[in-house]
Amino acid sequence: MQNLGSTANMSDVQEATNQLLHVNLHENQRDTHVTESVPRSESEHLRVTIGATVPTGFEQAAADEVREKLKSSCKISKDRGKIYFDISVESLAQVHLLRSVDNLFVVVQELKDYQFKETKEKVLKDFEELAGKLPWSDPLKVWKINTSFKKKKTKRKKLNQNLSKEKIDNGRDKREERDVKKELSNNSLDSHILDYYEKPAIKEEISTLVGDVLASCKNETEESLKEDTDPEVLKFRVTCNRAGEKHCFSSNEAARDFGGAVQDHFKWKADMTNFDVEVLLNIHDNEVIVGIALTEESLHRRNITHFGPTTLRSTLAYGMLRLCSPQPSDIIVDPMCGTGAIPIEGATEWSNCFHIAGDNNPLAVNRAANNISSLLTRSQIKEGKLSWGLPIDAIQWDICNLPLRTGSVDIIVTDMPFGKRMGSKKRNWNLYPACLWEMGRICKPGTGRAALLTQDKKCFTKALSGMEHVWRKVHTVWVNIGGLHAAVYLLNRTPLAFVHPSGQDKEELLSAKND
Amino acid sequence: MKLLTHNLLSSHVRGVGPRGFPLRLQATEVRVIPVEFNPDFVARMIPKVEWAALLEAADHLRLAEVPKGPIQGYEQDETFLRKMHHVLLEVEVVEGTLQCPESGRVFPITRGIPNMLLNEEETET
Repeated sequence: MQNLGSTANMSDVQEATNQLLHVNLHENQRDTHVTESVPRSESEHLRVTIGATVPTGFEQAAADEVREKLKSSCKISKDRGKIYFDISVESLAQVHLLRSVDNLFVVVQELKDYQFKETKEKVLKDFEELAGKLPWSDPLKVWKINTSFKKKKTKRKKLNQNLSKEKIDNGRDKREERDVKKELSNNSLDSHILDYYEKPAIKEEISTLVGDVLASCKNETEESLKEDTDPEVLKFRVTCNRAGEKHCFSSNEAARDFGGAVQDHFKWKADMTNFDVEVLLNIHDNEVIVGIALTEESLHRRNITHFGPTTLRSTLAYGMLRLCSPQPSDIIVDPMCGTGAIPIEGATEWSNCFHIAGDNNPLAVNRAANNISSLLTRSQIKEGKLSWGLPIDAIQWDICNLPLRTGSVDIIVTDMPFGKRMGSKKRNWNLYPACLWEMGRICKPGTGRAALLTQDKKCFTKALSGMEHVWRKVHTVWVNIGGLHAAVYLLNRTPLAFVHPSGQDKEELLSAKND
Repeated sequence: MKLLTHNLLSSHVRGVGPRGFPLRLQATEVRVIPVEFNPDFVARMIPKVEWAALLEAADHLRLAEVPKGPIQGYEQDETFLRKMHHVLLEVEVVEGTLQCPESGRVFPITRGIPNMLLNEEETET
């Protein structure tokens, strides 16, 4: 599996990281001696524990990705949807490139087997005292480095939004001359591609991913450091997540009292909405973990610039694709792609496979095509390959009648209509068997597999029960989609070759399954 | 639409079955968009390609230098692999049509996207 662009990204951000290791930290810690400058060698070997939230059910997939890309082993928390791993600070950039994680935080301290006192007053008092005893120093350094990444990203995003909307001409670019930016402004083919898919069948504002990716892989030097007004007093908030039956306090109370102590300790200003530092207090039964957030908005919307009504999180799309273990040259199809979240994630992470995004809705297919055209790998941008394509195509088709050769597809990954947010449950009774049939036909016997997400588990199970000669269920992952309890079913295509029935036979077979 | 995709597409008009392959390709607008060359990908794709269909499509697009079939030792032959890479992934049909060889039904390709939807009467169910 190719890891696109991460090395390119690393060297860019490495430089930024190195520069920032020399910047002073403006804290007023009561107990800790404020250092004038951070010795370079000391900070380079700084190791921290990072916590990551991942779609529940895909903790193992995330752990695998971390091991692959960061060479770190993970601890999977009992608190569902969280994994923990150690890294050296230099790897922070790569952590942000993980595709399976939604949010990241740096662990300040993990307190296993926390002894909660019997009364609420005593428990809250303990939290207050805890604030001053925690090893904040290293995690705050990490937070600081991390904040500089984000600042660059926001500025770039705004700039490139403007760039893409306007007509791109040569003299416009006032910034320092860099090859990549020059390419973006000069490359008429690239602007043609942006225009090309821009004719709104959909009247949406187009903010391309190009800006996003440009931002995250480009090295800002003087500019960001100049504008990096580092205030003496930081603004912060405390977010408390509490799970467990034996607690005699609420998450709000804990956040409030812990927060009060944090404020006293650092002399920071509390601000619930416009904060610099988000302190996390995660309590799960007897486990208390204090952390500092490294991500604001979740990473999971990153690929999609054009949203549809039910766009899938790309972290979930990644997990589903990974579940199928894509092999080089596999043909991977999403026959109900919506805005294309799954094939786009596929084309980014598994560019040694070929991806096809299909949907019957012209709006959806157009959105998918727009998202595809916005998509460029980081390495493409780094190397100035702004007008390059990816191994992915979009087609408008009907899932019940796919225009694909029998047995030509290796992997099918799709988000099936839930019925609650799109479609209807009644329709699913007819749709699901027809889907499984067609998917069974196009999928390669013996080696083919499918990962299908649905909330309508009952309907799916029934539809599957009539198709044992074609599909064999090998694994189920229980997931949470915006509060709905859904499942991802991993199916293997049996070795049985598909025989084309006559039109009448097929109708009979399909209606028989509905009884 | 890339030629690799065309190689996978087959007509699904009622009653046509496997005789719906390959779709006859016509293009009024074509462009070439470079794609990262991955020799391993191309080499593994070669055995999966339906050659006659590929050659026919390439012919309709008037592409030059299209290999007529896998050559001896193609897995290591970079020149061969690069040519195949170009044909399969870098040539995009922007505007054109796909025609079912059996029924004659024409499917449009607009802005790179083939529209393969059928009417009620044309579908199998």
